[in-house]
Amino acid sequence: MDWTLFAELAVNGALSGLMYSLVAMGIVLIYKSSSVPNLAQGALTMLSAYIVLAIAGALKAPLWLAIPLAMAVMFGIGMGIERVALRRLAGRPIIMILMMTLGLDIFVRAATMTLWGGTARPLPLGISDAPLFLGPLLLNRAYVVGALVALVLFAVFFFFFRTRRGIVLRAIADDYTASWSVGISVERGVALSWAMSSVVATAAGVLWGSIQGVDQSLSQLLLKGIAVAVLGGMDSVGGAILAGILLGVIENTASGFLDPLVGGGSRDLVVAAILVLTILVRPHGLFGREDIERI
Amino acid sequence: MSDAAPSLLSINNVEVIYDHVSLAIKGVSIEVPRGGMVGLLGANGAGKSTLLKSVSGLLKTERGEVTRGEVRFDGRNIDALTPQERVELGIVHVLEGRRVFEHLTPDENLVAASAVRGGRADMLRNRERVYGYFPRLHERRTAQAGYLSGGEQQMLAIGRALMTQPRLLMLDEPSLGLAPFLVAEIFEIIRRINREEQLSVLLVEQNAIAALEVVSHGYLIENGRIVMHDSSEAMKKNPDIQEFYLGGGAARDFHGIKHYRRRKRWLT
Ligand SMILES: Nc1ncnc2c1ncn2[C@@H]1O[C@H](COP(=O)(O)OP(=O)(O)OP(=O)(O)O)[C@@H](O)[C@H]1O
Ligand SMILES: [Mg+2]
Repeated sequence: MDWTLFAELAVNGALSGLMYSLVAMGIVLIYKSSSVPNLAQGALTMLSAYIVLAIAGALKAPLWLAIPLAMAVMFGIGMGIERVALRRLAGRPIIMILMMTLGLDIFVRAATMTLWGGTARPLPLGISDAPLFLGPLLLNRAYVVGALVALVLFAVFFFFFRTRRGIVLRAIADDYTASWSVGISVERGVALSWAMSSVVATAAGVLWGSIQGVDQSLSQLLLKGIAVAVLGGMDSVGGAILAGILLGVIENTASGFLDPLVGGGSRDLVVAAILVLTILVRPHGLFGREDIERI
Repeated sequence: MSDAAPSLLSINNVEVIYDHVSLAIKGVSIEVPRGGMVGLLGANGAGKSTLLKSVSGLLKTERGEVTRGEVRFDGRNIDALTPQERVELGIVHVLEGRRVFEHLTPDENLVAASAVRGGRADMLRNRERVYGYFPRLHERRTAQAGYLSGGEQQMLAIGRALMTQPRLLMLDEPSLGLAPFLVAEIFEIIRRINREEQLSVLLVEQNAIAALEVVSHGYLIENGRIVMHDSSEAMKKNPDIQEFYLGGGAARDFHGIKHYRRRKRWLT
């Protein structure tokens, strides 16, 4: 076995895995603050990338300006989703809310298709294509940047969930009715979680868009995001980071060895297998909270 | 109904309907005087929790609605207010079955409930006050609330409600599943808070004997109607109450045994 190749696959897998963590983190933020599994996170990621391009195009703004503007727009979109789609469902069975997020996913994908068509657009961040050398290993610079962004966001949210506001959001996720009973504005908390998640989606959308171009396929990051979020435990930000690394390494190394044998295309298979296995073997993931039930 | 200042809480002829069809409360009137401690007694399904929800505004989340009558707090009709606005006015509802934030610590439970009032310094002072009433909670302040004992959870639920700095504390069956000595301890603390802070209390109970020890007045609700209203002394002597107590108090001991089971969660 070629150990340099293996190490290179593993390290680049870890880096791209951290970029999956960006998508997963958006899912975790919402789940941790309102116990809603958001199936629209991939679509929101794609939408944010289109919005960056639209702002850059319409205002002739440079990307460093268009990106924060898009984040502001996405923040508003996140709040709007709560107001329009979710508020009336608060307290309803989770299956209804889940279907609503699925509807949202379909809606956003259809809307972006209508508005911007199906051709891929470039989103050049100006990150050099030249590999970065780490000893004998070649690293993809774009992945390095994405991994760093993921780690910074992890630190931010790690502390956020220990602040007063963060604690309130976790309380909402635990029990809507009890939250109402002590005067917590559940609606505002849920809106905030969607807004934060939409901003994180923008980070993910820009980074992934710069790597693979902006088109409908960005929304398929949902699969990786869900797999990482579930593996990490759905409500653990740190879990999303570690699970991202783990999944990235397994995906990249396994497909690196499988692809030549089966003629390519084994990546999604590996990811799907990890998702299915996690749910079967350890449904609360590596770091998720378990329900406490008294009998 | 005295000529003096109006009661802190008056429920006037309230009717509550769930799902547009099922009539749970049929014209109930209750008064809680300022600084008073009033009991609401009744069997399973009588409508006690429903009545508290009509005051705290939590009916809406269960597709229930006040269809007749009105709830007045401090002389003001509050029927149109959200639950949050009612908490800001000083109404707090300790839910049946404790309902602590299980994945948060007691510290965090108390912080979460302080969201509506004041700055950080206020919150910390308030929290120390709660721990002063419930020293046992203080010992377990960094444990996960879901693993506290039933009594500790009930204390936490009450303490969490106190963090909103209420003027009216509504307790829904705080004795549920607790050993008698714990019930006595908790009721004693509630009475102390009532005396020391002039906090008005509406205590819902099936455990009539324990409740009548601490309240000054009681109401008895049956099938969504008030069928008796008297001083606690008079109610204690009432043969119907004695029978009701004996009938209702027996079969609940199994609640006191606690076990934990872990359920894999979000898929269920
Ligand atoms: N969410 C709901 N939807 C429909 N009906 C309800 C709902 N909640 C309560 N009811 C009905 O309203 C009536 C009163 O219920 P409530 O919970 O107020 O009784 P309770 O006196 O609190 O009983 P318990 O001592 O068992 O808690 C019951 O007939 C109950 O079936
Ligand atoms: Mg009840």
